[in-house]
Amino acid sequence: MISVHALRYWYFACLASIFMIFEVMVDLYQPRLMASIVDQGILGLGHDGKPDPDFILSTGAVMLLVTLSGCFCGIGSGVFANLFSQKAANRLRKDCFGRILDFSFAQTDRFPAGSLITRTTSDITQLRIMWGQMIRGAVRCGMFLFAGSVAMLSLSADFGAVVIVAMPVIIAEIVFFLWKTTPLFTSLQEKLDRLNSVIRENILGIRVVKAYVSQDRETGSFDSSARDLADVRFRIALLLAALHPLMNVVLNLAVAAVIYSGAVRVESGGMHPGAVMAGVTYMSQILMSLLMAAMIFQTVSRGSASARRIGEVLRQKRELGDGTLVRGSRPGFVSFRNVSFAYPGSHGFALHDVSFDLQAGGTLAIIGPTGSGKSTLAALIARFYDAEYGSVMVDDQDVRLFSKSALRSRVSVVLQTSQLFSGTVADNIAGGKGDYSVDEVVRAAKLAEADEFIRALPEGYDTPVGPGGSGLSGGQRQRLAISRALFRKSDILILDDATSALDFRTERRILDHLREDFSSVTKIIIAQRISTVMSADQILVLDQGRAAGCGSHSELMASSPLYRSIWESQMQEEK
Amino acid sequence: MSDNRALQYRKEEQTSVRASLRPGGAAMMMKPGEKPSRFRESFFRLIRYFSEDRYSLFLILLLVVLTVSCSVSAPMFQSRAIDCVVAVDLDALPGLLGIMCSLYLLSGIFMLLQSRITAAVSRRVILRLRHELFCRVVHLPVRDTDAATRGDLISRMTNDTDNIDSVVSSSLSSFIQCVLMLVLSFAAMLWICWQLALISCTAIALSLLVTVTVTNISRRFFIRRQEVLGELNSTVEESLTNFRTVTAYNMQQGAADRFNRSSDELARCGMIAETVSSSMGPLMNMINNLIFLLVAVCGAWFSLKGLITVGGISAFFVYSRQFTRPVTEISMIYSQIQTALAGAERIFELLDKNEESSAGEEPGDLKSASIEFRHVTFSYEPGHPVLDDFSLKIEAGSKVALVGSTGSGKTTVINLLMRFYEPDSGEILINGRNIMDFNVHELRRRIGIVLQDTVLFSASVRENLIYADSSLTDEDIAEAAEFSGLSEFISGLPEGLDTELAGSGCHLSDGQRQLVAICRAFLSSPDILILDEATSNVDTRTEKHIQDAMARLMNIGTCLVIAHRLSTIQDADRIVVMDHGRLAETGSHGELLKKGGIYSRLYSIQFAGQAT
Repeated sequence: MISVHALRYWYFACLASIFMIFEVMVDLYQPRLMASIVDQGILGLGHDGKPDPDFILSTGAVMLLVTLSGCFCGIGSGVFANLFSQKAANRLRKDCFGRILDFSFAQTDRFPAGSLITRTTSDITQLRIMWGQMIRGAVRCGMFLFAGSVAMLSLSADFGAVVIVAMPVIIAEIVFFLWKTTPLFTSLQEKLDRLNSVIRENILGIRVVKAYVSQDRETGSFDSSARDLADVRFRIALLLAALHPLMNVVLNLAVAAVIYSGAVRVESGGMHPGAVMAGVTYMSQILMSLLMAAMIFQTVSRGSASARRIGEVLRQKRELGDGTLVRGSRPGFVSFRNVSFAYPGSHGFALHDVSFDLQAGGTLAIIGPTGSGKSTLAALIARFYDAEYGSVMVDDQDVRLFSKSALRSRVSVVLQTSQLFSGTVADNIAGGKGDYSVDEVVRAAKLAEADEFIRALPEGYDTPVGPGGSGLSGGQRQRLAISRALFRKSDILILDDATSALDFRTERRILDHLREDFSSVTKIIIAQRISTVMSADQILVLDQGRAAGCGSHSELMASSPLYRSIWESQMQEEK
Repeated sequence: MSDNRALQYRKEEQTSVRASLRPGGAAMMMKPGEKPSRFRESFFRLIRYFSEDRYSLFLILLLVVLTVSCSVSAPMFQSRAIDCVVAVDLDALPGLLGIMCSLYLLSGIFMLLQSRITAAVSRRVILRLRHELFCRVVHLPVRDTDAATRGDLISRMTNDTDNIDSVVSSSLSSFIQCVLMLVLSFAAMLWICWQLALISCTAIALSLLVTVTVTNISRRFFIRRQEVLGELNSTVEESLTNFRTVTAYNMQQGAADRFNRSSDELARCGMIAETVSSSMGPLMNMINNLIFLLVAVCGAWFSLKGLITVGGISAFFVYSRQFTRPVTEISMIYSQIQTALAGAERIFELLDKNEESSAGEEPGDLKSASIEFRHVTFSYEPGHPVLDDFSLKIEAGSKVALVGSTGSGKTTVINLLMRFYEPDSGEILINGRNIMDFNVHELRRRIGIVLQDTVLFSASVRENLIYADSSLTDEDIAEAAEFSGLSEFISGLPEGLDTELAGSGCHLSDGQRQLVAICRAFLSSPDILILDEATSNVDTRTEKHIQDAMARLMNIGTCLVIAHRLSTIQDADRIVVMDHGRLAETGSHGELLKKGGIYSRLYSIQFAGQAT
């Protein structure tokens, strides 16, 4: 799946490889020029042992040309390898994020939030590095290995024997180190994540840490995470510290063997001394390219871990199918028909056999204990999840028949936790719409009783909102979230405990605005306060996912013991 | 004498391979980035963290010297061995090869020892620095941590220390090694022929010029890329934390557009920066070859004049190669050090802030504590007082409720009482003693608080509950859970108290999180209890249950409650209505209703429609 992204830019990869091949060829050719400059120009072989400046100048000119073309090829291969890896990574990054945006809520629940962030950023970077290295490194290393071995064998069978003995030793070393370090690198990442999460929690919860005077304990747990991380780093460093000297020793033993066996052949007259020197050069080339291959393996093993993690995201199927319907036969009509729903992975039903009808323009209030399924009900209408049994109807049509974006532009949900975005206050109210009229924004803010406090902000509607709405109080955030819903002028409005941080006067005024100015809008209001729900046309009482009563305030007072006891808990003192 | 081709080639490949084999590997190598503003000062301050390890540092230095001398002298024996081959003199050969191999072996052993000691030193230094930083941050006054953006604070504690870590562990010894190589080869070159040595110095100039130019060009784009990466990260983070709103309001397209713009820009900057810096290799290679030609031409001419021997020229080739490589490497390490020092400066800035003072007297038993605010004025930003000449007396053992519209200063009262902030003027007294005279830790230990924004930790439910005192038993927890309406929640958990709250408890509903926080506060058996909108997402029946329990509970003395829901606070001994940082009215529920002021208006709104 991921290779598809890379293959799209195959021509860059090919160009990079071709340039790299030329660069390596130049690299392989250059020592010969240098050797002839040294042997003939300086040592003066064939020139009475005297330096020959003319020869140096003429060969030097050739070498200059070759060098320049090698440099050109090297840069060219870098350009194309980068074009390839960056373009492919960019494409992959966009696709990955696009796919995540299309996730259902159940799918986002499956991935921890932090992990989706690293998957779209650092994992893709890792993959890009791998692609870049594979193209340039693998070509370079393969060519050196191939050219070196061929040249070595052509020189002498003894040299070939040295290669055959040394190579497995080096390969065994490399395999050993990869085998040892790969799990350590995985564990390094885990320890790093753990340390970062300890830091994050302590910064975010600094008031709790201080209130409970637990600085010493937190420092202790920080220290132990820091030590864990440092230990893994230390173990990796120790392993790598041994790798290089070990390779060096094997390499030089091999060189010594080449020189000695060469010397024996030279003595018996089977070989020129020059061939021995060439043998030493080729031996180094071969073993060094093996070492380079080890590094490439390491990048590949990290890169393939990243590829796996990205693949997990890309392989996610669209869970909520899309329909085509934009508007049904009875606009604004909302009903539940024997709806049951369980969250993925949980045992019990969050909603169990719930039914109700809500006429267009009507108001339904929902009340019930913590965890009784109120928010779940709201989530099903906007189709954040699909009901397991029964059907959720909007406009008298099953929500699954609607186009998701059309459905969600008809239904506005104000969530329990107000989520704000970085941008100005006005941008937030306009809900990400690029071109909006300021009058509309102000109108929505007025209806949500937010206008007054917004105007008191340093830059009014143009005041930037920090990430997560920092700088605003809970009540202010809630009013901005309500403004955002009212701005959209949708047919169905759901307030999911969205006024809990507001004082009563403000809440009452907002509810009054809704009644007066949004009389044609179907309203569903979830609340804890009985005063908030009392004036609704219809009140649904939920208890452990089941409907424990439905009707007007007075009907429920008569028929529902749960409703009465909630009422009593709030009204008792007054009696 | 002409085996230098092999040597040159090997030297080069080895260093480049080693550079990318440092702990962390090529992928984690830092890119050139920012520059520190006070290089020297920060550098020496960082050096001070090594003072405890100075003997190890000397040892490292010694070992580096030994390694370098071995690896510099070994090639000489190799070239003599080759000379033997040329002269077909097999008798001396085994001896020479033996010396060569043992020198390489020795150099390997020294290097191994050196890397091990370096790893141990860097481990200790980083732990020291991390520990000091964390300790300082958790002891900073809340005013300082509130003033810093959280992301910035977190990145100083993670990224900046990481950067220092990798520089310390990887660059330290290679830096020394490079300097040593540079000095040794230059000395050798001067000794062979100083005229040619000076000419070869153009090598340094040229490679420095190329390195600096390339780094400067790529630095600009690396910095830009870092910024864009920040934008990209925050787009992803925001879209994911606000995922529900993004979905509910069809904002996917907007988010994707923003992401794609950043992503394209990121690819563009990355492309330029990486391409520029990847051209460094071929360019340096070219420079090396140019120097080879320069030495060859000048050397031949000098040799005709009798200034240098032919063998000398050959040796020169080897040394001039060894000369340019360290220059490149030193300049790369230098820019890594700069990035790390820029981070170190940000860390030192935090370390230079003053901790909260933990001096002061024992507050003693505060079980029956009266609290008094005397003419307290306070502002978060100068000129915008949040509390304005606020006075309030809370009798010992009473339950007092703070009421008022958003922004009237209720939470500020608690911030001051907890000594998260200090009043600009006026004083706060507990049992007639100014709280500023108390030991701040002891004061906080005696106050149990449930904050507006519930914070839980990624640990088991049990560890979260016994946060105040880890010696509490499961019976204690069961009792407190009963009081705080949490029993049902705990019994519904798959592994009961041992259930891990992943991601700081983000899978719990707001109401459940509040219940956990309340139970945690109960378990700290405080003398004074503060609830700041602690039950806003809890249903009213559970809340009632908690309140009944509190009345009987663990003989809590004084209790301060903030709530919007008036039903929460009706049974308070006294209700304090705040308005714009001042005390507007106070009295019991009944008294305030009769008064017909702000409170009675609030009340009638809340219960409007009830009469019908």
